[in-house]
Amino acid sequence: MNVEVVDKGLLSLIVDAGRTGRQQDGFCQSGPMDEDAFLWANFLAFNPDNTPCFEAIGNLTVTVDAPCVIAATGRAVQLTVNGHPKAGYRSEFVDAGAEISIGSEQMGCKAYLAIAGAWNVPVFAQSACTVPRERLGGLEGNGNTLTNGDHIEINAYPTSTLMANKVRAIALQNRNNYSLAAPIRIIPGYQYAHFSRAAQRMLVTSEYTVTSSIDRMGYRLSGPDVACDIQKMRSEAIHLGAIQVPPDGQPIVMMRDRQTLGGYPKIGCVNPLDVNRLAQATPGETLHFVYQNNEAARADCLLALCRRRQLQGEML
Amino acid sequence: MQSFGDIKQITPVGADAVMLYFSGDSLDEANAYCQRWVASIKRYANDHNGERGWLKECVPSYDSVLLVFDIEKIDTHGVYAFLASIAKYTMVSKSRAEAAHDEHVKTIPVWYGAPEANDLSIVASRTSLCVDDIIRLHTSCIFKVYAVGFAPGFAYMGEVPEVLACERLKTPRKRVPKGAVAIADRQTAVYPSASPGGWNLLGLTPIDMVRHTANESMSLLKAGDSVKFVSITEEEFNAYYER
Repeated sequence: MNVEVVDKGLLSLIVDAGRTGRQQDGFCQSGPMDEDAFLWANFLAFNPDNTPCFEAIGNLTVTVDAPCVIAATGRAVQLTVNGHPKAGYRSEFVDAGAEISIGSEQMGCKAYLAIAGAWNVPVFAQSACTVPRERLGGLEGNGNTLTNGDHIEINAYPTSTLMANKVRAIALQNRNNYSLAAPIRIIPGYQYAHFSRAAQRMLVTSEYTVTSSIDRMGYRLSGPDVACDIQKMRSEAIHLGAIQVPPDGQPIVMMRDRQTLGGYPKIGCVNPLDVNRLAQATPGETLHFVYQNNEAARADCLLALCRRRQLQGEML
Repeated sequence: MQSFGDIKQITPVGADAVMLYFSGDSLDEANAYCQRWVASIKRYANDHNGERGWLKECVPSYDSVLLVFDIEKIDTHGVYAFLASIAKYTMVSKSRAEAAHDEHVKTIPVWYGAPEANDLSIVASRTSLCVDDIIRLHTSCIFKVYAVGFAPGFAYMGEVPEVLACERLKTPRKRVPKGAVAIADRQTAVYPSASPGGWNLLGLTPIDMVRHTANESMSLLKAGDSVKFVSITEEEFNAYYER
């Protein structure tokens, strides 16, 4: 089956679960910005977890030349098939020649489109992820994001097999809550002890605004200054969600395509569950932080994993 | 968490990782301990009947290593117990750098003051050195590669002479060109591709730091390598592309 990109929207690329074990050579983690939406998209489209899918900002439109099953997910996701609105977070059967469009009600949020089948796309360092900063991955292997007219070959499953499966859907109350009303959880760590007591408290008692400097590498926030008194430190590995504070005192949350090593002080790491929520925040939105113990964070992540598996089990 | 042996500090990082910092009177010593532990961790962590173990990432740097684990298989206490159990094998084993004992010095040509990457005047004002002295100091040292990271093939080298030490920019630049040779504090490096960065730029090299082939991408420099920079002119720089 051939999938053609008719309109790439603002920015669309191919992502899978990302690269594992290559950070020691300097290759970034990559993978979906909103992992929760990515995992659900593939599950709802009857795909194994690590299947590539589209991650789009703005409205991505593609056409398919064979009948297939698709699923769209993400914050306030919108899906249309041949111009007719369809529900997100649900398996959708489409006909050959269908024009599929995904986007979000909220400008700037990421929408995910999974299409059932085996994606025949180039793989670099065991991943199909496109990393523009590293000039790696993508259809030409040079890190280019999708452009209009691009073709993707997918070995679709026979629709008769899929028809036998019942439609998979997630009820609204079981979807990820993207509201920023609940605070973003931070596990103190790295150079936390080197930040002043005032800076440590400032971070969790103030409101921070998401700036327009947000990309797959990091999200710059603006708010009260939380600068650290460390002037010189040796570069060290940066984990997903690490909150880096350059001398200007404005925190940057490090995301999927972050550099593997860096020398700015870090006050801690955002809980991986909240990394997904933050990834879907848009410029101008405000948020609060709260500290969390690392054991409690691990427990939260394990519970979320159990909950997702239980929901998936009920649909199988 | 209580530290032991060469490990100066063990600290949880996020929900699924720990960071180890190594002791040592000099950076060379700390880096040697680091490489030794990394070799040992990789050897023992994933050695369960060929099955993938709990270790998802092992990311070394100058004097530290980040261990990312699978939260379903282990927790920080389990990682700690693992480290304690391999300590006796690790303290006596040789690091890769010691084992290889590689005396070969790799040379990297640099067009100092190339217009695209020229912070020489900023470095001059911060260090009170003249431009010629900056170039002379940077080309006179043999640097050791302490770590590879930040971007594919980005090698952190040291140590830059104390007089040339120059702190990072207050706000990182949004774009540094490919091949930019830069310094920050007592470190030096080459940017393998255009990327954001906060280092002070000295010039440009025409050499590719990452060699891409069909399915693999290799870094020119690896931890433990020795490197020397040599100064070239604009004409020599352009000649690299005409060849």
